[in-house]
Amino acid sequence: MAGIYIYSDKIDTAAELVGFAKRVGKSAIILAVSEEAAVKASESGADKVVLLEGGDCRIENYGKAIAKFLQEEDAELFAAASTVRGREIAANVAGYLGCAMVSDIRSAEFRDGRLETVRMIYGGAVLQNETITGLCVITVQPALFEPAEAAQAEIVRLSVEVAPRIRLISTAPVVKEGVDLKKADRIVSVGMGFNREEDLGLARDLAGAMGAEVGCSRSIAEERRWMPESRYVGITGVQVKPLVYLAVGISGQAQHVYGIKDSRIIVAVNNSESAPIFRAADYGIVADLYDVLPLLTETLKNL
Amino acid sequence: MPKVLACYKWVVDGADVRVKKDLSVEMMSESKISDYDRNAIEAAVRAAKTIGGEAVGLSFGTGKCNLSAKSALSRGLKETYWINAPEAASADGKITADALAAAIRQIGDVMLVICADGASDTLARQTAPRIGGVLDWPVVTALCEMKIEGNTLTVVKKLEDTRDTVQVELPAVVSILPEVNPAPLPGLGAIMSAAKKKTTEIKGETLGIAFTTNTKVEEIKGYAMNRKNTLFKEGQLADQVKALALALRKEGAL
Repeated sequence: MAGIYIYSDKIDTAAELVGFAKRVGKSAIILAVSEEAAVKASESGADKVVLLEGGDCRIENYGKAIAKFLQEEDAELFAAASTVRGREIAANVAGYLGCAMVSDIRSAEFRDGRLETVRMIYGGAVLQNETITGLCVITVQPALFEPAEAAQAEIVRLSVEVAPRIRLISTAPVVKEGVDLKKADRIVSVGMGFNREEDLGLARDLAGAMGAEVGCSRSIAEERRWMPESRYVGITGVQVKPLVYLAVGISGQAQHVYGIKDSRIIVAVNNSESAPIFRAADYGIVADLYDVLPLLTETLKNL
Repeated sequence: MPKVLACYKWVVDGADVRVKKDLSVEMMSESKISDYDRNAIEAAVRAAKTIGGEAVGLSFGTGKCNLSAKSALSRGLKETYWINAPEAASADGKITADALAAAIRQIGDVMLVICADGASDTLARQTAPRIGGVLDWPVVTALCEMKIEGNTLTVVKKLEDTRDTVQVELPAVVSILPEVNPAPLPGLGAIMSAAKKKTTEIKGETLGIAFTTNTKVEEIKGYAMNRKNTLFKEGQLADQVKALALALRKEGAL
């Protein structure tokens, strides 16, 4: 069956990918590897849900089987959610198929039998437009497309050959501490420009003066471990969209800028004018954060 | 001797990408080893010590890619290989993975391939799972911990809501997050000795691959982020800070 084949471990994104397929006039077929996932997916408006039964419920072991299935079905596109599992299976399938893949698309349209995509590179500074002929793979961030209307789809079971090479030993939930930065209106975010953990008090004082939450770059959370991971803003951390995002001592590497691109106002404070963060910022001051923060806190208190 | 192979990319520094007013893009000539690839090299060096093997590097690029060898070797690799192919200048994820996988086969005795989760230029995050597909080796991505005992690789995979501990038998391909291990700056001695280490060129035409793909880049242009890009530079710092505060108030952001 030709059409768009979908994998997502997040049901909302699966429904959005179904919505995309419907909008471009293609059949939407969701792939699942567990009974539970198949039942959930069957309510997302897809034309069909295919439950791949290979005696293993880890999608990571299904790359070869999915590639074979897509070829047999004459699939037009394999679209996966841009989650850790989604990205992994998408690129693995692309490797088995030997076909093109476009990661984290911003848009996708079929024209004249070809898929036209746009994606961001260099931390959002550059757009790359591509056309793909024939079967290809894409990954898609949540909330890019409108979800399809909920409707019941049939679940088709398909026995596939799977080698359980990746074995789960244990799983532990991530304990998320503190506030949900995704809901914050104002965020003061700290980066490697801070020399000592105790200096983060300067950012907390500023956050207090402007009613903001405090976020951080990946390095602060995962290398220096000065703040919990739930505060880390970036492509592999929290992706935020506050009214104002104030990046202090953050250079603005690709993965960080991606996480803040939907902020209404971005402000940067950095002592290097060439720091990429300034390209993503509405307002900036090129100066030492240790000089700027006390002044800004005091100014805001008296404004 | 078994090899632990780190894939690394020689990329344009993001700070040197200039978007002009007409949205054309200018790449400055300075390049560097992609940020997280430095962590991948260090992970390979550590893993090779564990298994009593050799840590080697592999990169795919045009002639300029060879400039990366000394930097990679100074980080503790015993040897580097670089695929010299003009096609690398416009290669997508497919061609890149095909070339790297073919070179891995040619190099031989590779037990473990370590990539960074994503490159700092494209962040496409395809390389490791694609190589796994091409080689038909097991793949685990987004690792935040890694341990090797005998032929078994035990890793902690960082997902959005869970940390999964999984095992695979080698050979395997993994992609790591930077928290797996730091990427220490090489010392002067390591930089000096890197010049004496072996660098092997693999000519693209010897790999037996087609260097073709079904995607075509139609346009690369700067992204107008609708950002004001206003830097407050006038007057003393106190004046700049006040100007910023007033701008935020005017925006209704306070």
